[in-house]
Amino acid sequence: GARDDLAAFTRGLKGLEGRFTQQVFDSRGKVKETASGTVALSAPRLFRWEYTKPYPQLILADGRKVWNYEPDLEQVTVRAQGPEEQNHPLSALIDPGRLDRQFTVQEEGARDGLEWLALTPKQGEDAGFRSARLGFARGQLGVLEIVDAAGQRTVIRFDGWKRNPAFAASRFRFAPPKGVDVIGEG
Amino acid sequence: CTVAPPRPAVPAAQAEAAQQAREAAVRAQADWHLEGRIAVANGRDGGSGRIEWTQQGSRYRIAVSAPVTRQSWRLTGDAAAARIEGLPGGPRESEDPAALLHETTGWPVPVEALAWWVRGARAPGEPAVIEFGPDGLPARIAQDGWTIAYVWPDGAAAPEFPARIEARRDPVRVRLAIDAARLGSAADTASAP
Repeated sequence: GARDDLAAFTRGLKGLEGRFTQQVFDSRGKVKETASGTVALSAPRLFRWEYTKPYPQLILADGRKVWNYEPDLEQVTVRAQGPEEQNHPLSALIDPGRLDRQFTVQEEGARDGLEWLALTPKQGEDAGFRSARLGFARGQLGVLEIVDAAGQRTVIRFDGWKRNPAFAASRFRFAPPKGVDVIGEG
Repeated sequence: CTVAPPRPAVPAAQAEAAQQAREAAVRAQADWHLEGRIAVANGRDGGSGRIEWTQQGSRYRIAVSAPVTRQSWRLTGDAAAARIEGLPGGPRESEDPAALLHETTGWPVPVEALAWWVRGARAPGEPAVIEFGPDGLPARIAQDGWTIAYVWPDGAAAPEFPARIEARRDPVRVRLAIDAARLGSAADTASAP
């Protein structure tokens, strides 16, 4: 089942890189937004989520800080990288042990050609979302689904996963470009 | 490459007349919806997010969501009362939406005036100075200590919404990029990205 897929997918996994397409559905199930880009993760806490469509935006965790850069708005928001990063379902890929600490995990079986794991945050509402699901296909993570308190559903589909890629040192580094406003404790 | 001869600037009187017409249309059609991105800077404070704003008469629903998880807070209300939900500490209410937003998020955004500025109109009830661009559209509005600079979609003869505005009242700056917007009730909103 999905539990075995997760174990197989994360065994010996130190780093991961792939493409994503994200769709957000309102509580009535209507598509509100479609976006896509690339994602990279590197143990233990490095994280790069880069939107390219419909507009560029970079979210990067360099181990000490989390940067959110919006080129069109010429603004960077930065905050200390704290524990809340860890309750993000994707962080379970790099540290599967965290999954059971952070979430109540249930096998949901097969649906739409994927094997599903349902995750309910143990922190309840403070986790910022009501439930999440990981969908596996051919032993790889194919879909992350997040439902928030207002019933909005975010479905993120992944493909082109590369396991343990050789990341350039700069991949998880960010320096605000000149002329951009930097907000937050840098 | 050949450079098109600059179109003659729209005379001021004509621009002012067009602005009067635009503001009358704004007052007449108080139902609209927009989706875009907002960035707020107040010294080192502030933040940014994806914004969805639905206005029906004096009733508004403003949702700002974070990237990736799209976790959001929602500010809703009408002329009499405002409520904000989705923030740690649970829902809060107040009569003044701008004060409530500032108190709970640290974002000093003039919500009620912005509902007019975002449509290229001066907010009612406050003196305002307006400067027009060569295209006859508002380039800058100065009102209530704020200066609002406009970028209009190019090529649109009479656009209902700007492509982008920046409202500034030192040290605060609010940038809003509008990705999709339409008049009319939210029910028939096109949600094309």
